[in-house]
Amino acid sequence: MERMIARFDEKAEIIEHCQAAEDIFVLKVAAPAVSASARPGQFCMVEVKAVGSSDPLLRRPFSIHAREDGGRLSFLYRRVGRGTDLLSRMRPGEMLNVLGPLGRGFRVRPDITPILAGGGMGMAPLLFLAEYCAGSMDTFTILGGRTASELTGLESFRRTGTRVLVATEDGSLGTRGMVTDVLDGLLKTLSESAGQCEIHTCGPWPMMRAVYEMASQSGIPCWVSLESRMACGTGLCLGCAVYGTEKILHVCREGPVFHGDSIRWRDGQ
Amino acid sequence: MNRNFPDLSVTIGSLSLKNPVVLASGTCGYGAELGDLLDFGCLGGIVVKGISLEPRAGNPPPRLVETPCGLLNAIGLENVGIDAFIRDKLPWLMGMDTAVIVNILGDEIGEYAEIARKLDDAKGVDAVEVNISCPNVKSGGAAFGTDPWAAADVTRAVKSATSLPVIVKLSPNVTDITAVAKSVAEAGADAVSLINTLLGMSIDIDTRRPSLGNVFGGLSGPAIRPVALRMVWQTVRAVDIPVVGIGGISDANDALEFLMAGACAVEIGTATLVRPGTAVGIVEGITAHMESRGVPAIKDLRID
Ligand SMILES: Cc1cc2nc3c(=O)[nH]c(=O)nc-3n(C[C@H](O)[C@H](O)[C@H](O)COP(=O)(O)OP(=O)(O)OC[C@H]3O[C@@H](n4cnc5c(N)ncnc54)[C@H](O)[C@@H]3O)c2cc1C
Ligand SMILES: Cc1cc2nc3c(=O)[nH]c(=O)nc-3n(C[C@H](O)[C@H](O)[C@H](O)COP(=O)(O)O)c2cc1C
Ligand code: FES
Repeated sequence: MERMIARFDEKAEIIEHCQAAEDIFVLKVAAPAVSASARPGQFCMVEVKAVGSSDPLLRRPFSIHAREDGGRLSFLYRRVGRGTDLLSRMRPGEMLNVLGPLGRGFRVRPDITPILAGGGMGMAPLLFLAEYCAGSMDTFTILGGRTASELTGLESFRRTGTRVLVATEDGSLGTRGMVTDVLDGLLKTLSESAGQCEIHTCGPWPMMRAVYEMASQSGIPCWVSLESRMACGTGLCLGCAVYGTEKILHVCREGPVFHGDSIRWRDGQ
Repeated sequence: MNRNFPDLSVTIGSLSLKNPVVLASGTCGYGAELGDLLDFGCLGGIVVKGISLEPRAGNPPPRLVETPCGLLNAIGLENVGIDAFIRDKLPWLMGMDTAVIVNILGDEIGEYAEIARKLDDAKGVDAVEVNISCPNVKSGGAAFGTDPWAAADVTRAVKSATSLPVIVKLSPNVTDITAVAKSVAEAGADAVSLINTLLGMSIDIDTRRPSLGNVFGGLSGPAIRPVALRMVWQTVRAVDIPVVGIGGISDANDALEFLMAGACAVEIGTATLVRPGTAVGIVEGITAHMESRGVPAIKDLRID
C-alpha cells in the first residue's frame, strides 16, 4: 500500500573510513540487503553512536553516495556537529546499524540527457546517479564548492563517463563562480538540444532554488533533493515536513527528491 | 503452569492482547508504513496516529529537534481524518494479527464522541485510546487532560458513543496525575495509558529563534523515562483500572521496570523511530526474563 521496495535495518560492518578533506569523510560499509535494492537519490538512516547508548538518540540521514561490488555502500559526509563527529571516529571493523534504502530517488528517463548539478555535500547522491546513467547515455555533471579542496572525488565522477564541469567560488579550480554560472553556459551551448535535458540537483537551498529557476526559464524539468530534520526516515513521525506548493510534503517518504515545481521555494529552509 | 513457557497475554478490560507490548501513537504511522520492517504478528497491538474528525495539516516546520537522550516534536497532530482512516488505512491493519487501537483527538467533546461513534460502526477496531492532551477550544484552550472535570466529560462522552474498550491517555503536564486518573476512572474509563509527551522547548542560539516552528513541543524518549515510571507507579496505586505504561521505553529492561511498577502493558514510542524493530526485541527480552526467573504471568512481575 505505502511502498513496494523493501527496506532493511542492517548491521553493517565498516570496511573503509577515510578523511577526504578537512571535515569531509567517505564511509564504506558492507550492507548487502540495503545495497541490493538501492536506487540513486535514496538515503539511509545511519547510527552514529556506540551500541546501547541513547545519546545522541537519533540516527542521521545520509544519501547513498555510491554502490560497490560485494554489497557495499558508501556515504560522503561533512562533519558539522556532534553526530557526524562521533561517526567520524568510528573505525573499520566496527558495526553500525544502517536502515535503508529510504525515500524516492531521482527519476531518470532513458530518452533525456541528465544534467547533474551538485553544490558542496550535495554532490553526495550524484555519484550514484552518474554511475547509474553514464553507461547508457550522455550526461553532464556540474560540481561546485567554495574551494578546490572541497571538491573531493572528481575522479570518481570522471570514471563513470559523465562530463564533469567545475565551479569554485575562489576560482581555485574550474570556473570562478557558482554552479549556476556553469549551468547557464552549458544550457547556452546546448541551446537547441536543451529541450532534451533534465536537471537533477542537490545542494544548499539557495543554490537549488537558483538552479530550479534557471531550469524553469529554459523550460527544462528540474528534480531537487531536499533535506529536513528527520527522526525516523521511514514515514512514521511526520516530522520531516516542508512546504509544497499545494500541501505539506514529507521529505523522507515523498522525497527526498521532488520535482522543483512542487516546492514552495519562498519559504526557504 | 509450565515454568518454561511464561504466559505473556494480558487483558485490558475486555481487550485481550497476546503480549503486553504495543506500538505508541504517532510513532508507527497507520501501521502500513512499518509493514516491511516489523512482524506485526509478534506484537500485542498497535495504537495508530491520533485521528481527528476532519483531516489536519499539522504545524509549520521545523517540527523536530533532538535534545539530550530525547526528542522534541511539534507535529501538530497531522492526520488524514476519521473517514479516510476507516476507508484507506483500517483495511491493511485488519489483515495483521495484532490488536488495533485507534487514538482519537478533538477540539471539543462532541468531536471525540462523533469519532468514537464512527469507530463503533467500523470493523476491525479493538479499542479506542483517547488523547486528552489537546487544547479544549471551547474553554480557552487549556488541555482537556489538565482539568479532571473536562477529562471526565470527554471520557463519559466517548464511553456513551462506543461499546469498544476505552483507554484514556493522560497528559503528564499536570501537578497531580492521579487526580485526573481517578476522575476518568470514575467516569467509566476501562483503562488509562501514560504518559504523553512532556511540554518543552529549545532555542537555536545561531538563528536566535525557537528551534520548533510551533515554539513549544512534546519531549519523548529515554530522557522522560524516570518521570513516566514515577507517574505510572503512582497511578497504579491510585486507581483500580489497568494502567498502560509509556515513556522512553527502549529495551526489555525498561519495559520490565514499568511492568514491575504495575503497568499491565507498555507502549513503545520514540524507540521505534530510532530502530523499527525495537518492540519485537522487547517481546523477546521480556519472554527471556520471565523464562529465566520462572515468572508465570505478566501480573506476577508486579512489585509492591
Ligand atoms: C535525506 C538527507 C540526506 C542527507 N545526505 C547527506 C550526505 O550525503 N552527506 C552529508 O554530509 N550530509 C547529508 N545530510 C545532512 C546530514 O544528515 C546532517 O548534516 C547530519 O544529520 C548532522 O548531524 P550532526 O549530529 O553532526 O549535527 P547536529 O549537531 O545535529 O547539527 C549541527 C548542524 O548541522 C545542521 N543540521 C543538522 N541536521 C541537518 C540536516 N538534516 N540537514 C541539514 N543540516 C542539518 C544543524 O542545523 C546544525 O547547524 C542529509 C540530510 C538528509 C535529510
Ligand atoms: C513524533 C511523535 C508523534 C506523536 N503523536 C502522538 C499522537 O498523535 N497521539 C498521542 O496520543 N500521542 C502521540 N505521541 C506521544 C507518544 O505516543 C508517547 O506517549 C510519548 O512519545 C512518550 O513515549 P516515548 O518516550 O516512548 O516516545 C507522539 C510522540 C512522538 C514522538
Ligand atoms: S522523518 Fe519521520 S516521517 Fe519523515
